[in-house]
Amino acid sequence: MEFLNKIPVMDRTALRELKKGIDLSFKEFSRAYGEGIESFFDPLLYFLIWLEKILVSSPWPIVIGVFGLLAWVGSRSIKLVIGTIVCFMVIGYFGMWKNCMATVAIISVSTLVCIVVGIPIGVLMSKSSRAEKAILPVLDMMQTIPSFVYLIPIIMLLGIGKVPGLLAVCIYALPPIVRLTNLGIREVDKEALEASEAFGATPMQKLKSVQIPLSLPTIFAGVNQTIMMALAMVVIASMIGVKGLGVPILQAISNQYLALGMMNGLAIVALAIIFDRVTQKYGQRIQKHRGQKK
Amino acid sequence: MRINKLIISALVILGFTSFSGVANAKCGNISIANMNWASANFMAEVDKVILEEGYGCTVELVPGATMPTFTSMQEKGEPDVAPEFWANAAIVALNKAVDEGKLHSINLAPITGLGEGWWVLPHTLKKHPELTSAAAILERPDLFPHPEDPSKGGFHICPPGWNCELSNRNHFRAWGMEAKGWKIVETGSAAGLDGSIAKAAERGENWFGYYWSPTSIIGKYDMQAVDMGEWGGKDNWDNCIVKPEQECADPKKTSWVKSEVFTIATDNFKKTAGKDGMDYLKKRVYPGPVMNGMLVWMGENQAEGADAAIEFLKTQEKVWSKWVSKSAAKKIKKAL
Repeated sequence: MEFLNKIPVMDRTALRELKKGIDLSFKEFSRAYGEGIESFFDPLLYFLIWLEKILVSSPWPIVIGVFGLLAWVGSRSIKLVIGTIVCFMVIGYFGMWKNCMATVAIISVSTLVCIVVGIPIGVLMSKSSRAEKAILPVLDMMQTIPSFVYLIPIIMLLGIGKVPGLLAVCIYALPPIVRLTNLGIREVDKEALEASEAFGATPMQKLKSVQIPLSLPTIFAGVNQTIMMALAMVVIASMIGVKGLGVPILQAISNQYLALGMMNGLAIVALAIIFDRVTQKYGQRIQKHRGQKK
Repeated sequence: MRINKLIISALVILGFTSFSGVANAKCGNISIANMNWASANFMAEVDKVILEEGYGCTVELVPGATMPTFTSMQEKGEPDVAPEFWANAAIVALNKAVDEGKLHSINLAPITGLGEGWWVLPHTLKKHPELTSAAAILERPDLFPHPEDPSKGGFHICPPGWNCELSNRNHFRAWGMEAKGWKIVETGSAAGLDGSIAKAAERGENWFGYYWSPTSIIGKYDMQAVDMGEWGGKDNWDNCIVKPEQECADPKKTSWVKSEVFTIATDNFKKTAGKDGMDYLKKRVYPGPVMNGMLVWMGENQAEGADAAIEFLKTQEKVWSKWVSKSAAKKIKKAL
């Protein structure tokens, strides 16, 4: 009876030893390899610092102009361009320019990292079902594991600041682009593939000129989702020392500063909407192009 | 018949209640604030064991945080005791409540050697024994490279939104640290601040920044307080250092303000726990190293305050037996 009423539990001291052992072995790992791993990420750090410096120190009209131009290139919609410019002006007007630029810098770099890392993984998954089976649970874990859990080892390994923040953002924001790349390539028309094979395309050629172009709209939806998720991590990243719009939000949380929290929160929302609309419009435009062909 | 039964049962109930009243005549129900940080959690658990086993009180622990608990104690008289109350944040209101007789500041220094300030790691001092004062450290930004800009010295401050964030920023200006080649390291959160220390300590890197004692971090890494020099006066502190930058145009160098940490209790505690309980709280002073040692033990064993309280009572009898009467000490030992 006792067995039924009480779940078997590990001995307390043994459990404690186990936890201690895990902690200790990680500490040893960090002591041995931490410095090496840190210097591996140095180029990324310099790139981040450089980008943020450019964004912050360039004259604001130029920065806003570039954003407007990018919005135009992406969406070809004058409404969106005006919206973008107005949003950034308002953000600047309310004194959030510097933080906003820091956030833009880290979001763009982490999106870039996610694209560079994520698309090849997605391609690999689409090519091999065994790889897909192995990688899917990892992606599930990355998306659901509470971020505070992996912040601790990241800090022990890399300290606090931009790079660990970037890593935390990427862990959360990487899965959608991997998933959607995989999905997009797997969904490419069989007939189109057969046709390319009939013309004697090598697997590499097939991938480069048939599968990826045809799955671009789906891949782009993945990029869009990745950006959105990266923005959702802004506040968490600030908890390990990343400058940006998350910092005033943390200030607001611990002091119940309603207005400060709202303003910076809305600035993140504004960034999200701009990024989302521009990338979505861009994705639609690629699709339209394909639609005309059909 | 029926009426008889009723009367009997009424008598029985009455008897029980009055009986239990007699049993607890010495001490009744008490609630203790169980604050959300380790040392206060540990102290609350120790108080619970000692007051229950030694003095026959019934103790309930109530979760708390500095300001909410204080407000509740002041307005509702509950919880009865806050074992480790950092009073700087509420000193005016506390003094008022003490004057009104609602609250009592029973113990004005329940832990010795505590306080806020700037700290360095011991291995830094071993290599550079001259770096004991802030003035000396500030001359050597090259020893404490900033993680994002190694040409500058990195000064670790409080997470955003904490009061000490503002004061550290003002200290930073008061010491002219920017001109000396220093840059603030944003730590983001308590976990970030702790993590930066842990990482530096594990790797043998130098670390310089703000922290406070009693904490397991201070105990675990044996961190050394930095001498910040003379106290720069109350006016400088209250009207400048603790204010936002715009309201503090001209901060002056100063040591950290003395941390007022009290054990405070409601009037109800005085009535229920009586002289014995009050005496216990008055005498209950943890020496700083003992407290830090317990916090380290908690961290290493990933233990809760309750486990630590038992460990403390078992292993540090010399410390706590001075706090209680002989008969209470016997009872507590027996209960362990």
